[in-house]
Amino acid sequence: MQQSAAPAGDAITLFCLHALGGSARSWDGPSACLGDGVRCVGIDLPGFGDTPMPGRHEVEQLADHVAELVRVAAPVRWGLLGNSMGAKVALAVARRAEDGEAGLSGLERLVLMAGSPPSPEPIPEERRREMLQWFRDGPARDREQARIFVAANVSSPLPADREQAAVEDVLRADKRAWRAWLTVGAAEDWQQRIGVLRTPALVLAGRADADLGPDAQRALMLPHLAHGRLLVLDAGHLLPLERPKEVADAVAAFVRKDGAFPGVAAGPVLPDEAYRAFIASDRVSRRVRAALEKRMEADDPAYAPQVLTPVALALLRAVMARVLPQTSDEANQGTIDLAARLDAQLAAGGGDGWRVATLPPDAEAYERGLRTLDAVARQGAGCPFLCLDGAGQDALLHEVQAGQCRADGLSPHQMLAWFEDVRGDAVRLFVSHPATMARLGYGGIGNGGDEPRLRGFDGSHLDRREAWEPRTPPGPGRVLAETGA
Amino acid sequence: MTGILSLPERRFADEEVVDVVVVGTGAGGAPVLARLAAAGLRVVALEAGAPGPPRDHAADETEATELYWLAERLAGGTTPQPMGANNSGTGVGGSLLHWGAFVPRPDARDLRLRTETGRGRDWPFGLDALLPYLREVEEAIQVSGPRNYPWDPSRRYPQPPVARNQAADAMARACDSLGIRATDAPAALVTRDTEQPGFGTRESCIHCGACHQGCRNGSKAGGDTTFLPAAVLDGAEIRPNCMVTGIERDALGRVSAVIYREDGRERRQRCAALFLCAGAVETPRLLLHAGLCNGSGQVGRNYMAHVATQVWGTVDREIRPNKGYPSSLISEDMVRPADADFVGGYLVQSLGIMPVTWANQVARGRGLWGRGLTDYLAQYNRVIGIGINGDCLPYEENRLTLSDELDESGMPKPLISFSAGENEQRIHAHAERVLSRIWEEAGASDLWTLTRYAHTIGTCRMGPDGDDAVVDGRGRSFEIDNLWICDNSVFPSALSANPALTIMALGLRSADAFLGRLPA
Repeated sequence: MQQSAAPAGDAITLFCLHALGGSARSWDGPSACLGDGVRCVGIDLPGFGDTPMPGRHEVEQLADHVAELVRVAAPVRWGLLGNSMGAKVALAVARRAEDGEAGLSGLERLVLMAGSPPSPEPIPEERRREMLQWFRDGPARDREQARIFVAANVSSPLPADREQAAVEDVLRADKRAWRAWLTVGAAEDWQQRIGVLRTPALVLAGRADADLGPDAQRALMLPHLAHGRLLVLDAGHLLPLERPKEVADAVAAFVRKDGAFPGVAAGPVLPDEAYRAFIASDRVSRRVRAALEKRMEADDPAYAPQVLTPVALALLRAVMARVLPQTSDEANQGTIDLAARLDAQLAAGGGDGWRVATLPPDAEAYERGLRTLDAVARQGAGCPFLCLDGAGQDALLHEVQAGQCRADGLSPHQMLAWFEDVRGDAVRLFVSHPATMARLGYGGIGNGGDEPRLRGFDGSHLDRREAWEPRTPPGPGRVLAETGA
Repeated sequence: MTGILSLPERRFADEEVVDVVVVGTGAGGAPVLARLAAAGLRVVALEAGAPGPPRDHAADETEATELYWLAERLAGGTTPQPMGANNSGTGVGGSLLHWGAFVPRPDARDLRLRTETGRGRDWPFGLDALLPYLREVEEAIQVSGPRNYPWDPSRRYPQPPVARNQAADAMARACDSLGIRATDAPAALVTRDTEQPGFGTRESCIHCGACHQGCRNGSKAGGDTTFLPAAVLDGAEIRPNCMVTGIERDALGRVSAVIYREDGRERRQRCAALFLCAGAVETPRLLLHAGLCNGSGQVGRNYMAHVATQVWGTVDREIRPNKGYPSSLISEDMVRPADADFVGGYLVQSLGIMPVTWANQVARGRGLWGRGLTDYLAQYNRVIGIGINGDCLPYEENRLTLSDELDESGMPKPLISFSAGENEQRIHAHAERVLSRIWEEAGASDLWTLTRYAHTIGTCRMGPDGDDAVVDGRGRSFEIDNLWICDNSVFPSALSANPALTIMALGLRSADAFLGRLPA
């Protein structure tokens, strides 16, 4: 464990977890650039630097090691920095902290640099196999391979001393740990375990990173972070070595930042005041009022999907934003998290009583439909669906609607049927929300409260708006005269 | 204060041999139960759903899904049929808890379609045989309707017509200038406070428009406000939350007991006879699952769905389509249109609609999404709808089978394959032209057509011949003489009229036949 000078007061301690073949000293650069108020603790993960190889070398054991060091250090406020492999370990430790594991309270920040995502790492099989063959042919060859490795993971050559240190770190790594990561750790699927983390997170990606660059971070990492933001640097994969100053600046700014972090709707989406008064009035029955109030509760930005994977939930949010764009320009109006609400409904088993026989059961159809859409994007547009702009996403959805969407997964015909379900589910959730009812000027909820004799509408004046009925928002047409007015 | 159906405390013991078990309490089961109980029989109705007083219904489309049959069904064919909200209900009262209460009588010609055209299938009896029962039902459930019914001048309805909403007014004016006859729809609701035996007061319709979410003041007729309280007065038992999963037979092959699940436990009720009134999906599913009454191979076959085309438009004034009884205007002028290129015909009705139902149709049927969708949804208060109910020919290959997936009852989920045929598509096309003309005359713009089919009909048809029908013209199985069926599954053809009134009339008629009161 390497520590920078410990500043006094309420400094935040950042535990820094290196990439494959790195060590605590991978962080020397950024650490030196970070000013007061931040204390960096570089950690040698098991099998790297000075830490011996553990009995088992899976993400779980690496996380055990880090958690133990955090417990011993017992910081009041702390954060995790992870590069590549270290990022996956950081995610696992953050999950434990958010779940309330003893001695891990006080986690405030997560910085993931070219992180290996919770899903199996998208590394080409050929490269993985090559790296597994390394370090078996004597010291000279070992050194050459270590050099190749470092050079392949930076966008431009490192200064000589830094490169030298990086190569030495690769060489002193326990090769069992090296191979364990490539065969086991990188392939472990932590998607369900990690779920969606609430801790404010900064994701750094190197523009020139082949496998874990900006697209991969958007598609595979950000879905797991409720309050995550992506920052792209001119770098490759080993950001702390390549861009120590920029990394330090980004970390420092992120650590200082307080207030709002990006995420889906924080706070409830509410109808206007007049409609809220309408809901509260004796025109509405207690049962309907209770149901509407429940629907008006705020969505949790860190909603943990129960049926979909976090990546599929992120895809569904993106699809919902295209299918039902919600304007949030009015005061106090966020957006309704239709995707999270749909997942919750699928989890509760609350279907609509039928499905097209050619589709698998609803939950499976959603997961596979979304994955197919992503596959089409990767195939056709060359990037994940989550990395397309709105117009690009729309173009794919038009293909789906035309029955022309071809990729591994659901068939074009299944995608057509699935997309109809998506539209139906989206409007059902959207229109049943009181904020939407208010925008439509819908008065049907007020057709009878709980009085002994229900009032309904005046049958002799169905062509009039009764005084209690909400007004129709401005539009091209005439509005009804009011009864008794 | 609105009345209430009080379930009796008495419960027949499972081992007691009751005279009749009735499965289902909807449009078929409720009148059967009432008639048999009135005759002094010991009868018990097993209902899969829960009881609930009318006042507990919610004027909210999401909450009201509790009235739908939500156990999953699989839809196949080229025009897969939505289930759930589509005319199958759960709860004491069945789908009549959320039906539209639109009660045109069947047309005599529709029951003789094969004789008339060589297509489709005749009913085993004519309208004459049904007419006394139709009248009796209209009186028993108190149907409201116009003083003079243009297509049947002799007809009289017990209650004055319900107020027209704006869609009805617009349709009336447009039809008038186009020379199409239209009038107040026959609606199974009371337009003045009415005492209903065993229930209490059914209060006058308050035009709240929420028929499909459950009528909260008892105005709308349902089993729970009419036949079921009458049955209870006469000693019938209604046993809710009981899902029938099997039928037991004695050594002679006759029904001896019904197996059902209650509170997660399997039980059996012994009985001397059985009436299946579970609808055109659950009745054939149970028979196929039990392997009964299918010597003809007809169980599950000839599934039909009415052509239910709708045309929507936007007008330059507020309509507020949630207001008023939704289907308050009818035209029967298209039951046999002069320029038809199809057999049979259709009824036209004005439409009211709640926003979630409408938005769902827009998103699925009009195919809108994105800005186009949200902009159009904002027009809700200015949209106006008109629709039809058109005949559907029976086709052998449109059928219900058992899938290899199980649902929570432990029975296989039904797979319903339905492909609209050419005749149905021609009815749809004709209706699209007529409805569009009416709405253009009414000054509506941005017209669009929703291709849609509705109702669940057929699958256990009645007929004179046991080789190609499941039950005879009275509703009795050809194979098991103490097993009767009375619901929309026995319809040999779909008719252009909405089915519930006919089902109720069949219920009384089958019960009379069971009691030996029907002339041979």
